[in-house]
Amino acid sequence: MPPFFKKKKPIKIKSKKQIEKPDEGANVARPIGDSLSHNLELIKQKTGKSTDVIISEFILQTLPEHKAAVIFVEGIADSKNINDFLLESMLNNQAVLEKATQSDTIEFLSEKVLAIAGVKKITDWNDLFLALMAGDTIILVDGSSTGLVASTRGGGEQRSVEEPGSQVTVRGPRDGFTESIRTNTALVRRRIQNPDLWVETMKIGTVTKTDVSIMYIKGIAKEEIVGEVRKRLKSIKIDSILESGYIEQLIEDQALTTFPTLYHTERPDIVAGNILEGRIAIFVNGTPFVLIAPAIFIQFFQSVEDYYGRADIGTALRFLRILIFFISIIAPATYIAGTTFHQEMIPTQLLIAIAAQRETVPFPAYFEALIMEIAFEILREAGVRMPRAVGSAISIVGALVIGQAAVQAGIVSPAMVIVVAITAIANFATPSFPIAISARLIRFIFMIAAATFGFYGIILGILILVVHLCSLRSFGIPYLTPLAPVIPANLGDTVVRLPLWAQKKRPELTTQGHDLRVGEKQKPEPPKNRDMVNKKAKKGD
Amino acid sequence: MKRLLLVFITFTFSLILTGCWSQKELTDLAIISVLGIDLAEDGRLIGTLQIINPGNVAGGMQGGGGTEGPPVTIYTSTGDSVTELSRSASRKISRSLYYAHTNLLVISEDLAKNQDISTILDAIERDAEFRITADVVIARGVKASELVKVLTPIDKIPANKVIKTLKFSEQQWGEFMSTSVQDTIKDLASPGKEPVITGFNLYGDAEEGKKLEGTQATEPVTSLGATGLATIKNGKLLGWLEGEKARGTVWVLDKIKQTAIGIDYKGQKESIIYQVIRQKTKVSGTVQKGKPKITINVAAEGDIGETKVPIDLTDPNVLLSLEKKLDKEIKKEITMAINEAQKNKADIFGFGQSIHRSYPKEWKKLQKEWDSVHFADLEVEVNVEAYIRRTGLRNNPHFK
Repeated sequence: MPPFFKKKKPIKIKSKKQIEKPDEGANVARPIGDSLSHNLELIKQKTGKSTDVIISEFILQTLPEHKAAVIFVEGIADSKNINDFLLESMLNNQAVLEKATQSDTIEFLSEKVLAIAGVKKITDWNDLFLALMAGDTIILVDGSSTGLVASTRGGGEQRSVEEPGSQVTVRGPRDGFTESIRTNTALVRRRIQNPDLWVETMKIGTVTKTDVSIMYIKGIAKEEIVGEVRKRLKSIKIDSILESGYIEQLIEDQALTTFPTLYHTERPDIVAGNILEGRIAIFVNGTPFVLIAPAIFIQFFQSVEDYYGRADIGTALRFLRILIFFISIIAPATYIAGTTFHQEMIPTQLLIAIAAQRETVPFPAYFEALIMEIAFEILREAGVRMPRAVGSAISIVGALVIGQAAVQAGIVSPAMVIVVAITAIANFATPSFPIAISARLIRFIFMIAAATFGFYGIILGILILVVHLCSLRSFGIPYLTPLAPVIPANLGDTVVRLPLWAQKKRPELTTQGHDLRVGEKQKPEPPKNRDMVNKKAKKGD
Repeated sequence: MKRLLLVFITFTFSLILTGCWSQKELTDLAIISVLGIDLAEDGRLIGTLQIINPGNVAGGMQGGGGTEGPPVTIYTSTGDSVTELSRSASRKISRSLYYAHTNLLVISEDLAKNQDISTILDAIERDAEFRITADVVIARGVKASELVKVLTPIDKIPANKVIKTLKFSEQQWGEFMSTSVQDTIKDLASPGKEPVITGFNLYGDAEEGKKLEGTQATEPVTSLGATGLATIKNGKLLGWLEGEKARGTVWVLDKIKQTAIGIDYKGQKESIIYQVIRQKTKVSGTVQKGKPKITINVAAEGDIGETKVPIDLTDPNVLLSLEKKLDKEIKKEITMAINEAQKNKADIFGFGQSIHRSYPKEWKKLQKEWDSVHFADLEVEVNVEAYIRRTGLRNNPHFK
């Protein structure tokens, strides 16, 4: 063994130990001192005199006067709020301030002076920095070891609520989540105006201290699942959470799968709908993508428009989407199996047409399919990452080089191009992006299986796929519910989408209540008597 | 983790190590569309294989500009058995023979007359690739090899031309019927029925028919057409049924879909043409006092297709009289066919089967001498009911 490896081993063990106890001193309470200048010095030291941490000292005109300071981070604290309500009330309010005695200045400020909601007292440095970095304003008064935190979050530039880029619908609300967690929770709360809609917030990430909120409806969501989500979130120990994807990867049930076991969306109406079915939304500050747990397989084939439009059309579209999913998985595999193993399965005329195209192709069908699929994946990746201005170049190169030149040169057959194109379009048409990506990957496995065993390989692959799907869990909920295990009451919102008045029960496994969603006799019907028509007729004649 | 790795390795290797098991690339296959079988003078079999030339059939997407070749290529080989001739054909063909798309089997008249065709059909039935749904025809008056070699203009693959001709002629005219290998074997094997197979003939010069130029004229130099139904008995060709006798046979077999029947009116021959649009024929057998009897009930519906004489078609009595004449005409055709079959002592209609179905006990006694005694003297009652549903787009003819 070369010495390089020998050296590495002990280092590994060391680093493991370090990970186990990250940032140990963080949670030990460190009380704030009572000297203002000393405190401010400490703050400056801790923040490295960062230029965006604003410390403004002033004289509080109490009797006797006190030195005081407000500290906030420019850009994330709302400076208009600070100026209009905090500083204004503390500097130009001599009449009230004069009544304060020395002992309870802090008390007095928070109760009688500050014209802002959400004022809290703090005595600990950790709390102080957490609040400061989240955008709150700190008020420190000389001689007092208690500070005040005024809620001034939400300052600076923020993206406004816009139409989401993913999951676009023709009919339905146009608002989408933003990067601000407060805006996001508000968007959902506006849809469910109920005190039972509960929000719990925690900070995750030892360095980033990202706000993560879970939202659910008390009484509908199953307590066990809420507890499980809370437990998993609390047990996360990582330095940073930059996107909800970080959370997703850390709280999944199983990592060895290509299928998503958490749903994510940019649309508040989807979150509202899922919360009403007992699921739990996980908001992460700094991303418009909200996680929904637990997620089931069929959810990825549902689109919000299924519920906004008519039930029959919704059902037809569901069928189409499941077909699309299968096409995007097995279309190239079927082509390979059909042309190299089961020529007898192809109608004679079609076989001759394919055979004629393949006469000049120098590769076996499997290799041809692989080339085309990889070429397409490259094109697609290029299309996603390229700047928009050069995007059109991709389509020209893709269409001309791959589509035409390759066929004319006899390197690939036109039939293969058609198969790849159908697969690609089917893949784009899958309503949920994570499942589409998953299908993209699985497709290659199916192609290998088809190239080795033909249709037999494809069937084997499907069998393994189904078994795998059955084995998946999302927060303990079987991934294929309500199809496997079968829950008859919930089958109305799976492959078929029954009318709203016929979907009486909420999903059994994610909700605890047994109350019905819709009342009795909700099926609409015309009035029983025909007076409206007949009376008019009499008058007219 | 180790176990997982082991499972992974086992799985991957089991996939990779199989290679591409039983894989056949399309470019390695000789897709055979027709198999023609002749009898050589020394008693061996001559096989004629019509191999599709995909590039010349599917039109010129690629490669275009090259000289256009014939859509099919013919190879012949000789052997003592079908399997032998097929295997030995590989001496001449650069690709592996692929029978899964062979939709037509042509047997020469010579072979059918002199040898039991059952032995040939056995090879085909036994083969995993050959479809038993393939059609069978008999090359009448020509060698099977000559028939197979003819190029056809509209359906570029000659096999399709023959199959489609049979299919549509059966539907629209009714003198011929398509018979599959499966049907033929079934009829050969069952005691109460004999098979009938349509004959195909070659019109024009056989040598010219091989050339592509022949198909490039408006009127093809050589063409293929169906002629007559061959009666097979004990696996050998017995004789041919033509015209009305053939149609009568197809009628009894309930295979007629549409046809046209001419009847005489006011002394003028074939002056009213009746177009059958649908019909149903029911054959039922009874045995009374050991004597078998067959009843055939035909119900036909159709329109008036053509009139050559002035006639008042608005008069229901006229239509009724026409219907009666039609009954007679159809009955005549059927009776002719039955008489011919009885003369040949070949039960091509499956009368024996109907008796067998209804009277299994009696059938056991009748079975031994069915063809020679009972069928030949069988009493057959034919009831025909023809209905005129419409008179076309006109009532009375425009001439008087």
